[in-house]
Amino acid sequence: MSERMQQRLRYLAFLVISILLAFGIGAIVLAVTDHEPLAAYKAMFQGAFSAPRHIGDVLEYAMVLALCGLACDLGSRVGIFNVGGEGQLLLGAIVACQVGVWLKGSPTWLVMVLAALAAIVVGGVYAFIPGVLKVKVKVNEVITTIMLNTVAALLCSYLVKGPWQSSSKYVTAGTEKLNAQYWFGGLIKGSKLSTAIFAAAVIAFFIWYVMQRTSRGYEMKLIGQNPRFARFSGLRNDTVVILCMTISGAICGLVGMFRVYGAEHIFKSGISNDYYFEGLMVAMIARYQPLTTILLSLFFAALKIGAEGMQASAGVSNHIYLIIQTIIIFFMAAESGIFTAIENRRMQKAARRAALARREGGTDNE
Amino acid sequence: MSEPVVEFRHISMQFPGVLANDDISLTVNKGEVFALVGENGAGKSTLMNLLYGIYTPTGGEIYIRGRRVERYNPKYAIDQGVGMVHQHFMLVPSFTAAQNIVMRKEPKKLGLFYDNAEAIRQTRALVEEYGLEVDPTEKVADLSVGLQQRVEILKALYRGADILILDEPTAVLTPQETDELFAVLRRIVAEKQMTVILITHKLGEVMAISDRVGVMRKGRLVNVKNTSEVDQRQIASMMVGRPVLYEALEKTGTPGELRIEVAHLRCLDERGLPAVRDLSLSVRSGEVLGIAAVEGNGQSELIEAIAGMQHIESGSVKICGKDVTNRSPAEIRAAGLAHVPEDRLATGLSAEASVGENLLTGRQREKRFRKAFDFLDRSSVARYAGELYERFDIRGAGVDAAAGDMSGGNMQKVVIAREFNFDTPVLIIAQPTRGVDVGAIEFIHSRIIEKRNAGCAILLCSADLDEVFRLSDRIVTIYEGRVTGEFVTDQVTREEVGYYMTGAREVAQ
Ligand SMILES: Nc1ncnc2c1ncn2[C@@H]1O[C@H](COP(=O)(O)OP(=O)(O)OP(=O)(O)O)[C@@H](O)[C@H]1O
Ligand SMILES: [Mg+2]
Repeated sequence: MSERMQQRLRYLAFLVISILLAFGIGAIVLAVTDHEPLAAYKAMFQGAFSAPRHIGDVLEYAMVLALCGLACDLGSRVGIFNVGGEGQLLLGAIVACQVGVWLKGSPTWLVMVLAALAAIVVGGVYAFIPGVLKVKVKVNEVITTIMLNTVAALLCSYLVKGPWQSSSKYVTAGTEKLNAQYWFGGLIKGSKLSTAIFAAAVIAFFIWYVMQRTSRGYEMKLIGQNPRFARFSGLRNDTVVILCMTISGAICGLVGMFRVYGAEHIFKSGISNDYYFEGLMVAMIARYQPLTTILLSLFFAALKIGAEGMQASAGVSNHIYLIIQTIIIFFMAAESGIFTAIENRRMQKAARRAALARREGGTDNE
Repeated sequence: MSEPVVEFRHISMQFPGVLANDDISLTVNKGEVFALVGENGAGKSTLMNLLYGIYTPTGGEIYIRGRRVERYNPKYAIDQGVGMVHQHFMLVPSFTAAQNIVMRKEPKKLGLFYDNAEAIRQTRALVEEYGLEVDPTEKVADLSVGLQQRVEILKALYRGADILILDEPTAVLTPQETDELFAVLRRIVAEKQMTVILITHKLGEVMAISDRVGVMRKGRLVNVKNTSEVDQRQIASMMVGRPVLYEALEKTGTPGELRIEVAHLRCLDERGLPAVRDLSLSVRSGEVLGIAAVEGNGQSELIEAIAGMQHIESGSVKICGKDVTNRSPAEIRAAGLAHVPEDRLATGLSAEASVGENLLTGRQREKRFRKAFDFLDRSSVARYAGELYERFDIRGAGVDAAAGDMSGGNMQKVVIAREFNFDTPVLIIAQPTRGVDVGAIEFIHSRIIEKRNAGCAILLCSADLDEVFRLSDRIVTIYEGRVTGEFVTDQVTREEVGYYMTGAREVAQ
């Protein structure tokens, strides 16, 4: 138990150092490009927190990151890497949106439930395919999901310029706008935050609970750690892997529906700018731990929204966000190498002290 | 003759929660075979890993040829002439023997390009010099375990080792291979004045080959003796700190109904070649059927096929009357089977998971561990695991430590504890005491017989013929995937079984 606690503290220390270093390097980059680093960071902070509507946008984006990150956690726990969330999200979004367009005039609850179901099914099926291919035919899921992302993006762009295109002349590539009666209610005026976040919170809690607290979550972990042992001990690995992958896709599809019904109210290209990949980065930095994924999503959402605010107010390109994020990932990846070496040395010193103390105390080794 | 080459001075090694080596002082002399024995988890591998520079001791110093070791890393140790063959080999399977042997010190053409012809030539020279027969051009993946071990030894010799550490080298060898290995060791010690440190649990081997023996117990070196002055019984009692009683195993009851029925089984091995050919056998409740076979004659595939870990080409397997041919391990376990696999690290455990989780596995859906909403109750899991940990005398840093950090023999006890505690009508046990200390062997053997007497049907497969004879009611010999003979244990000799194992004789079926 204490060893596990130590590991957690170490991770935390590491994360904080990485973040500080990343901001430090970011400051140098800013200085070199003729910006005042402190002013820029101040603008960034204000961009995220200075007004309720900014905080609302942070929360909305954190919701997207967290759900995408958790979807990724779910796959990686059983040893399958879902890189196809972007495609699942896009298809979920466009189908959910179109359901709302088709059913215009139907009761609100019916449309929203059907739209959510459609998004879940489409996202799920779109992940089920690479899942089955991996388990049954041993095709690498990373390759298939990346390819499926491209297919999904092309399909969406065809649909919004073709059969599902809006009749409005102001929309060149997008679906019909959703009737306002079907929207998730807004929570903060001027921000994209909607009541969808409550649904997201319930889902996030549920995923965390299943992964960390249940016997099924325990079985998932075993499959990820040593599939041969898991099978040997009577688990149905194939089914579990396919199921986790499908649920992962379903969540991504649902995120698409939340984006449409909560924030954008239309399907257009801005529905996701590689949001899934950003969620995946967060999951990686969080080492695929659900709670950490959720917390880090809040941090990175603030960073991103802040960077956008900074761009608007201080005229600093929001690419600084990318720089900072990349540096954090870099340091966190290096951690396993460099820092374990330092850590080992530290541990050995401590152990030597402990051994000496023991010897002087003269206790016996029983 | 007693010129010290290795000196441990007050060496201690503290792992989180475990003091693996406690103030050990020991001198090993040039040109001797030094045997290191002790119970599982006594700290033998750790002490040798320190000498090889894998860990840095938390206290004390090591001297090699009178020079203090300054840095603890394997490269430094290798430069000082230390070579080590680990319990789990560290070879690249897709490379040839020669490539593995010269790795990290490759002969170069023009000082730049890897020179394969030269590597083969040098390997041949080594093979000649030490009499360790290996084909340098063969891929390591295609070599038997015994030959892979030779490659490991040659690798150490190629790097100029004259202090050779062997960690349980014979655990994976057939008796024949063990004899060959010992012949080589005797020769290199006599002719090259090399020093060999040998870790083993087989006290017969200690007597056969060592000059001196060091006994470790709970992290301490409790005794060092000249081998000629002690006998096996004395060593055993030094190891455990009390006299070891070799109690006769009392077998009671008579065999009942058929529990394992294997009929005309055929399986392929990993390379797609026939491994099991038209093999039939059966085991009844209340009896132990032992399989006697030389490594690689299809017995591993047979066992895995019964347990659902290996595809069956044709034929059938029944457990407790239920046809389970090509069913999943889940279904076969449900039909009443528990299984101690031959390879504990790859199949029997999750090294990353804790000891407690490993003990729980298979029972995680039981009511007593599962509350409402599928909640896994960690406290009842800890209680259950702690109880098993005590009952099977597992030694390590407790149930929360990672299973992969345990000593080899204790990992085995974790697997045995979990599988035996399922209380199934059928048990398949492969290599139950591989790498397990004498005391624990006694313990495991009595548990097996206890199961048998309680009416369990047991299929046992072991490379240790003594073990097969001691535990089995009946013995079948397998050669090239076929049953060559079937015997009642009391009515056959070891020699006779040996003939049938090597295919020299066969009973027409
Ligand atoms: N890397 C490690 N981290 C933590 N504990 C360890 C580590 N390696 C060994 N230990 C602990 O140190 C003790 C001694 O282990 P060691 O492997 O030296 O035993 P051993 O005498 O070789 O036993 P065996 O005969 O079973 O191989 C054990 O309790 C083990 O759990
Ligand atoms: Mg060991």
